[in-house]
Amino acid sequence: MTSLSLRLLRLGGPRAWTTAGLVGAGVAVASALLAVALGALHGLDSREARTGWRTPAAAAPGEPVIAQVRTRVDHAAGKPITQVDVVAPGPAAPGPATPGPAVPGATGPGPATPVPSGGTTAPPGLPRLPAPGELWVSPALAALLRELAPDALANRYPGPPTGLIGDAGLRFPDELVVVIGRPAGDPVLTAPGDSRVVPVASFARTTVPAEDEGYRQLTIVAVALVAFPIAGLLGASARLTATRRGERLATLRLLGASTRQITVVAVAETTVIATAAAITGFLLEALVSPLVARIPLAGGGWFAADVRPSVLVSVGAVVAVGLLATASAVGGLRRVVVSPLGVARRQQARGVRLVRLLGVVAALVVFAIGNSALRVVDVEAAGLVMAAVVLALFGAVVLVGPLVVRGVGGWLGRRESVPALLAGRRLQDDPRAAFRPLAGVTLAIFVAGFLAPLSATAWGATQRDDHTLHVRAGTPDQATTLLARAGIGADVRPAAGERSSGVDVRPVDPAELDRARTLLAPLAPGTLVQTDAEASGQNAVLLDDLRRGVLVVLVATFLVAATATGTAAAARVLDHRHTLRLLRLAGTPVRVLEQARMRETAAPLLVNGAIALAFGLLCASPFTAATGVLAPSGLIVLGSVLLAGTAAVLAATAASRPLLRSLTREDQERSL
Amino acid sequence: MMLRGTGVTKRFGPTTVLSDVDVEVAPGETLAVTGPSGSGKSTLLHCLAGILVPDDGEVWLGAERIDRLSDARRTDVRRQRFGFVFQFGQLLPELPAIENVALPLMLGGMRRRQALERAASWFPALGIDGFQTRRPGQLSGGQEQRVAIARALVTAPAVVFADEPTGALDSDTGAHVMDLLCGLAVRTGTALVVVTHDPEVAARCHRTVVLRDGVLRDGCVPA
Repeated sequence: MTSLSLRLLRLGGPRAWTTAGLVGAGVAVASALLAVALGALHGLDSREARTGWRTPAAAAPGEPVIAQVRTRVDHAAGKPITQVDVVAPGPAAPGPATPGPAVPGATGPGPATPVPSGGTTAPPGLPRLPAPGELWVSPALAALLRELAPDALANRYPGPPTGLIGDAGLRFPDELVVVIGRPAGDPVLTAPGDSRVVPVASFARTTVPAEDEGYRQLTIVAVALVAFPIAGLLGASARLTATRRGERLATLRLLGASTRQITVVAVAETTVIATAAAITGFLLEALVSPLVARIPLAGGGWFAADVRPSVLVSVGAVVAVGLLATASAVGGLRRVVVSPLGVARRQQARGVRLVRLLGVVAALVVFAIGNSALRVVDVEAAGLVMAAVVLALFGAVVLVGPLVVRGVGGWLGRRESVPALLAGRRLQDDPRAAFRPLAGVTLAIFVAGFLAPLSATAWGATQRDDHTLHVRAGTPDQATTLLARAGIGADVRPAAGERSSGVDVRPVDPAELDRARTLLAPLAPGTLVQTDAEASGQNAVLLDDLRRGVLVVLVATFLVAATATGTAAAARVLDHRHTLRLLRLAGTPVRVLEQARMRETAAPLLVNGAIALAFGLLCASPFTAATGVLAPSGLIVLGSVLLAGTAAVLAATAASRPLLRSLTREDQERSL
Repeated sequence: MMLRGTGVTKRFGPTTVLSDVDVEVAPGETLAVTGPSGSGKSTLLHCLAGILVPDDGEVWLGAERIDRLSDARRTDVRRQRFGFVFQFGQLLPELPAIENVALPLMLGGMRRRQALERAASWFPALGIDGFQTRRPGQLSGGQEQRVAIARALVTAPAVVFADEPTGALDSDTGAHVMDLLCGLAVRTGTALVVVTHDPEVAARCHRTVVLRDGVLRDGCVPA
C-alpha cells in the first residue's frame, strides 16, 4: 500500500506535485524555524560549557583548593571586558610551563604553541592554570590592546599578554576577556566589589549565574511562544491535501480496503514528504547558521556551531515532525473509516462543541496556578512555569478560535450580501478548517499582546550616568594629582550618594575616560574603576537583549504566521475547487468569490485577534502592568504587529488569488 | 429568445473537438444533444452557454452575439439569462437547499428575504417541499437534482443547459426528473438544451441532434 500511495503521488501530475511541493515548503520553513529555536538553547548550553568555569562552584570543605577565582566586568572603549582573576592558593604557585600562542605586538615570553582545551585543573581554552603575572587574552582583546594607547588599557594589567585564549574558552568569537594570574595574597582577594572570590577544586564544576539562567528561561519562553505557530504551520501544511486525500481514501474504503490499508496509504505520502521536508529544514538552518550566529544575545553573537542543534536533538526533532504530520494525516481518517460515504458526499457539517470552553477554563486555572508559582519558584524553574502558562493560554486561544469562527459564521450568514452569505455558511460548515488559516496570525497577535507591555518596560528603562568614574578608595587630591600629571582635566569630588568612601571623577573630555580610569586604578588596588552605567552594564545588556528578543520573536512568529496563512488559504482554495468552478460557471463573478474569501478571513480574524490580544496581555500580567501596552513603545509594537498582521493576511489571501482564478478559469471546464 | 450557434468550431491544442456545428433552440423548446463519449457534446454546451469561446463561428442569444462579449459580460449573461443543471456536485455543500436555490437571485441583487420567498415557492412544484433547510449531503440524488432544477429555473432564464442531468440517477428517478425539467421548461417558455448519451432522456425532448467526432452527423432530428 505504501508503494501505491507514492505511486498515486508520482502519477498525480503537476498539480499533485505542486501541492506536495507546497506541503514540503511549509514543513521545511517550520522545521528550519524549529531548528533555530532549538539552536538557541543549544547555543546557551555550549556557551555555558565553555565559560561556566568563570563562575565556578566553591570547593567543598576539606577539598584541596587549586585556585581562587574572581570574575568581574571592566570596560574600555565603551565595551565590556570580562576580567577573571585567578589567584594561586599558596605562596608557591607554579610558574609558566607551556606558553600559549604569541600575541602580535606583545612582549610576552616564549614561542607560540597550540592551546588545548582545559581539563579539570586548567580552565577551558587555556593550556594550564595561569601562573602569577600571566595574562591570557581573547583574540578580540589582543586586537583592542594593540589599538588603544597603553595608558588607556594595557597599563591596567600586570604585564603584556602571555597568550591567546582558545575558542574553547570564549563565550562568542568577539568576546573581550582577560584571565590574569595573581600571586597569593593579591589585593584582588579583598578588594570591595559586587563579585565574590570563589575557592575552586576543579574548573569542571560550575554554577550558572542568575543572569545566564535568566537568559535560558527567557529563551525557553521564546521557544514556547514560537512553538505553537510552528506546530500550526506544520498542521496547515500536512492538511493541505486533506480533502483530496479524504476523497481518495473514501473511494479506497468503498472498494473494500481495510482500515490498516487506508491508514498506510494516508500516512505514507504525508510522512515521506514531511520527513524529507523536515530534514531539508534542518539542513537549511545549518546552512544559514552563520547568519543566525550574528544575532547578538547576552553581549555578543555566537559561534556558528553553537546555534546548530546537536545531531541527536535534530534527529529527534525530525522524527517528531514526521510523527506530527502522520498524526495530522491519521486525524482525518476516522471519518473515512466510520463513514466513507459521509466523506464522499459531505453529509454533515463539521461542528465544534461548546465543551471547548472547558479547555479555556482549564487554561485560566493553569494561569492562576502558574502566576502563584512564579512568586515562589527558583529562577531555574521560572521559565518552565512561564512556558507552561504560555502554552496553556495559547491552547485556549486555539480552542476558542473555531467557536468564534462558528459564531461569526452565523452572523455573516444572516447578512444581506452574497459574499457574506457564502463566507458565513462556509465558516459554519467547518469552523476548525476555517480557523486554520487564521491560527497563525491569531497566535502572532497573542505574542504581540504578551510582548508589547514587556517591550514598554524594556524601551522605557532610563539610562544611568555613563561619564562619571567612581574610584573606591583615595582622596580627591590624590586623584587630581594623578590626572594633572597626565594632562587630563576633570571634575573631581568626594564620592557622593550611597558611597561612603572614594572619589567621583568626571573627565572634561569623555574621550579621556579610559585613560583616566587606567591612571586612577592604583588608588584602589584590586578594584575596577567604573561609571554607574558600566556597573549596571549587565542590566543594560539584558534590556538590549529583551528588545532584540521581542523583535526576533515577533518577526519569527509573523514569518510562520504568514507562511501558515498562505498555505492554509491555498489549501482551502484547492479543497473547494470543484464548488468554486461550478459557481463561476453558473455566472458568479470571481469578484464575489474573492470578496467571500476575504470576509471569511477578515471577520473571524478581527474577533479572534481581540481575544488573542486579551489573552496575551493576561499572560504578561505577572511581569508588568497590562497598561504598559498604552505606553508609546507598547503602542508602537502593537500597532506594527496589527499592521503586519493585516498585511500578512491580505498578502496570503492575494497569494492564492491567482490559484483561484486559475482553478476557475474557463478552459478548466473540460475537466468538469 | 432564440439561442443560435452557427459554424461553431472549437479546438483544444491540435485536436478539433467541434467542427462547424450549426444548432438553434427556440423558447419553450427542448433540444437533446447526443453522441458517444468524447464526441464534443459538453464542449458544444459550454460554447452555447458562453463558458467557452469558440475558435470559429458565432453564438447568438436573441439579437446579442455572446461569443464576442468580455469574460465579465458573459458571466453576467450566464447568471441573468441561463440556468444550469449538471450530473452531480453542483450544489454548494455548505448552504441549505433553499439558500442554494436563492443564490442566483441574490447574486442578481434581489433582497435576501424576497429571494428566499421566491426560492421557497419552487419546492412544492418539484416535490421537495419540506427539504428547504436540508444540506445537499442530506438529500438523495433525485432530490438534489430537483433542487438544482429549481435553482436553474428560479431566475426565469431564457435557456437552461443540462449536462447529463440524470447520469447519477436510477432510471425511474431519472425519468421523473426529466419529466419535471422538460415540463417546467415548456410551461415557463424556457428553452432547454440537454446533453445526454441516454436515448430515453433524448426521447423526452422535442428535437435531438447527434454529434460524432465533433461533427453534427444527423442534423436536427425531430423526436
